[in-house]
Amino acid sequence: MLFSPPPYLDPGSGSIIIQVLIASLLAIGIALRASWSKIKSLFGKKDQAVDQDDDNADA
Amino acid sequence: MPESNQLSASFRDPSGFLFTRDGVLLRQINRSYADEYTRLMDSGLYDRLVKAGLLIPHVEADQAPVQAEFVFKVIQPERVPFISYPYEWSFSQLKDAALATLSIQKRALKAGMSLKDASAYNIQFVRGKATLIDTLSFGLYKEGQPWDAYRQFCQHFLVPLALMAHVDVRLSQLLRVYIDGVPLDLASRLLPFRTRLDFGLLTHIHVHAGAQTRYADADVKQTAPRAQMSQNAFLGLLESLEGAVRKLEWKPAGTEWGNYYDITNYSDAAFEHKKQLVGEWTARIEPSVVWDLGANNGVFSRAAAASGAFTVAFDVDPAAVEQNYRQVKAAKEQTLLPLVLDLTNPSPSLGWANRERDSFAQRGPADLVLALAVIHHLAISNNVPLPQLADFFAEAGRRLILEFVPKSDSQVKKLLATRADIFPTYTLDGFEAAFAPRFKILEKVDLRDSERTLYFMEVR
Repeated sequence: MLFSPPPYLDPGSGSIIIQVLIASLLAIGIALRASWSKIKSLFGKKDQAVDQDDDNADA
Repeated sequence: MPESNQLSASFRDPSGFLFTRDGVLLRQINRSYADEYTRLMDSGLYDRLVKAGLLIPHVEADQAPVQAEFVFKVIQPERVPFISYPYEWSFSQLKDAALATLSIQKRALKAGMSLKDASAYNIQFVRGKATLIDTLSFGLYKEGQPWDAYRQFCQHFLVPLALMAHVDVRLSQLLRVYIDGVPLDLASRLLPFRTRLDFGLLTHIHVHAGAQTRYADADVKQTAPRAQMSQNAFLGLLESLEGAVRKLEWKPAGTEWGNYYDITNYSDAAFEHKKQLVGEWTARIEPSVVWDLGANNGVFSRAAAASGAFTVAFDVDPAAVEQNYRQVKAAKEQTLLPLVLDLTNPSPSLGWANRERDSFAQRGPADLVLALAVIHHLAISNNVPLPQLADFFAEAGRRLILEFVPKSDSQVKKLLATRADIFPTYTLDGFEAAFAPRFKILEKVDLRDSERTLYFMEVR
């Protein structure tokens, strides 16, 4: 089920389809980044990319 | 029971609505929103967002609801000192509002929630920072669900920012025509080809616009069950939007008045004298809200804000407003709000039944209006008769500090150089006679080392 409860905005069919396509593409990047940071952590390097959004408050 | 007035801007959301009672702003939360509100408060999301200055704080109020049959709770949100709209923001203000929206959405996802709308009208500048003012914007998030507000985010934020950065900064005014954001197909036609070479703009604007046309008649119920995306994919989408927004830049340069204070005919003595008088007179009346009309980059707005007043600094030039906002950010100023406004055609009331967005005048009156070196632009460049200007200023604020710029001033000479002088009453005496029916003069000072006169007046 996608819409439960029904959305209060009409998300638009085209907008839903295109965002799922784009997002799925980008998910691959995120997954790769996650595995890469795991590999790096095996060699004792700390991942700095985590939780970047916490500084956005001052954006 | 005291009278309650439901606010006309908050009629769309079935989760609740805003109303005022005895001048206090309240929000009724309906039972249909109980689960969402509880999650927002109990998950710690509310506290985290308020602490980061991203969400307006509220208290639960012991107040009777307006519609008792639906009520879950009544809350009292902190009141925003001045409501502004995206078509009044400079480039960086809209950009910061966009980034704040994405930052809120990322934090919401971690708490199992998702913004159900991404309207630029839900963001206001509070203590100098872009802040979400709609406490009822959060929906429950279930893994797999896409972002219902994706299109709205693009139309309200990404598209106007891209148009401002890549075509012309004045295109922010399209938001005044399109109240739910600039249509994607229009933006896609206006943007130059180079924007198709940028992955973010290509996908979120151009391809997105194409998909809208292509699937315009598609049945959402048919496509929807297949449209699932993981939380990682959701985060990827948000990061991509954030990257696209961050990459958009606009620098104020080469506009008409961007370097106004360098080309003015002012001596330092006159400038300092004016600043000192504005500061003194403002401090004397302790206003809570000041409007500086024609503020440029806000030098005199700051002289007024020093008294502790919340000061809105309006100017027609997006470059001056941009400069002013950058100063606000750099110095973390909390009581100054720079906005783009054309005094000769101020923001009208807009939206459904003309009641969703208030006009400039409806958001007043201010306790004090500054009209420094603007009267010649209004009276001469825009041909507005002086008595009409008196009416306008008398409706905008209870007191007025006005700088009269005479015909002998080089700025006015420049305005009159290319046109017939049809302004026989534009003199100091003519000005005083025209303003006398509406204003009482409290003080009148000739600015040192200048031909200009500064008036401190009060509405009769």
